[in-house]
Amino acid sequence: MSTHVPSFTEPADRPTAPAWLLPTIIRFPRAGSEGAQRTATESLFEHTEVWGAFPADAGREQLVDELVRCKLTGRGGGHFPVARKWRGVMATAGGGYAVANGAEGEPLSAKDAALLQTRPHLVLDGLQLAAIATRAEHSVIWLHAGATATRASLAKAIAERRVAGLPGPHIQLITGPDRYLTGESSAVVNALSGGPPLPTFRRKHSSESGVNGAPTLLHNVETLARIAAIARGLDPTGHVERGGIPSALFTVLTPTGRTVTEIRPDTTLGQLVNSHVAETPQAVLLGGYGGNWVPWAEFQAIPASEPAAQLQGRSTGAGIVAPLPTDGCGIAETGRILEYLADSSARQCGPCLFGLRAVADLVSALARGELGRADRKRLERYRAEIDGRGGCHHPDGAMRLLASMFTTFAVDVDLHLRRGPCRADTGPRLIPVPSA
Amino acid sequence: MAANQHPVRLRVDPVACDGIGICTHLAPTLITVDSWGFPIVAGHPLSKRDRKSADAAIAACPRRALFLDDLPN
Repeated sequence: MSTHVPSFTEPADRPTAPAWLLPTIIRFPRAGSEGAQRTATESLFEHTEVWGAFPADAGREQLVDELVRCKLTGRGGGHFPVARKWRGVMATAGGGYAVANGAEGEPLSAKDAALLQTRPHLVLDGLQLAAIATRAEHSVIWLHAGATATRASLAKAIAERRVAGLPGPHIQLITGPDRYLTGESSAVVNALSGGPPLPTFRRKHSSESGVNGAPTLLHNVETLARIAAIARGLDPTGHVERGGIPSALFTVLTPTGRTVTEIRPDTTLGQLVNSHVAETPQAVLLGGYGGNWVPWAEFQAIPASEPAAQLQGRSTGAGIVAPLPTDGCGIAETGRILEYLADSSARQCGPCLFGLRAVADLVSALARGELGRADRKRLERYRAEIDGRGGCHHPDGAMRLLASMFTTFAVDVDLHLRRGPCRADTGPRLIPVPSA
Repeated sequence: MAANQHPVRLRVDPVACDGIGICTHLAPTLITVDSWGFPIVAGHPLSKRDRKSADAAIAACPRRALFLDDLPN
């Protein structure tokens, strides 16, 4: 993979060669560390050599039109249209906040850390473009307190920008506790407003009333990096139909670590996994703990491009891909993930506080072969009762995972109900799950 | 519902709600409880009659967790 050097010309001369967001493939340990193995952080000088100067002359209307044209969607996993968020904030008087959300909640994900540790200036360019376009007075980058490698990279980058006198508000680096929900968007807004870093139930959208009641634009860091590229006349949105310079960013769990890699969106997720994992898996967890189990046969054919995946009723989410080898038990793995999600609850809403625990207990009991047919009905009822009833989407993600366990591991569920635990239930666990 | 009245629905703020349960007695046609005693609120547009019991439930909630919301068009 080579680094493409973009040219700065009129849209008619838009470069067509691939432009990758990352300089190279970045490797991380399987769990327990946010620091990439052997990375170099691009200095402001190097960044300018590769990407060109900060596109200060990108007019706010032209830029938002370009975001519409590129169909850029949010890369935190939600894939909400970016331009619609901008228009919401641009309709206000401004004076609020632009926030880069770098608190990557999913423990399996590392793409945001990879970007921030190798190309912090690309993300900060995007943040400042967003701040300028929405007339924000404050630029904030929000991180986990324990993300030491990322913090070091950003602190240096922010200092370099201050010396160079780049446009945009002063960038504040603010951190929250190392928990799963610290990166949930309403938790970020709540924390930056001086409250606890916990999700809140909002009766108004944050574009109107966000941090301290001011208009707030919050984006995942990969989204901001793509905005910075688009402002320079590049189009790395991952849309095949654009035919430009697409890329899709993924974190792949391998037997030895987590690999952050970019692929062309006209390839499939099957090709992605085959190029990183030798053994053919039985199923793949797509989208992290709050994502979906997908049987391998079906997973293989999912397009890497988000809009193409959505046409098949799938989503690449935040690009997390965790293959489950054939000797693993999907039910035992799901049980452990659900335990973690229950432990990670903000403990504010009844259906999440009590419901996730109840469901996690039942699935773990199912893995041990201790459930009967009636319990299965109870699990289904709990799932229907919990789904959509939290103040944030945390319980919804857990219920999505549970629903996909029932479909993807339908035969295994039946065998566990009738015959008890499988041999894999006592074996090693294959998807790493930290303690909450 | 009068034609000139804007359609509204009853909603609950699940963070504020403590599952005390007075609402289910005051608006039993609109609010049921889940397996853990927390309210499940019907999301349909409120009729005039619904509106009366919804208002009673909203006023009685010790946590001020219930509210009326404009229906998305």
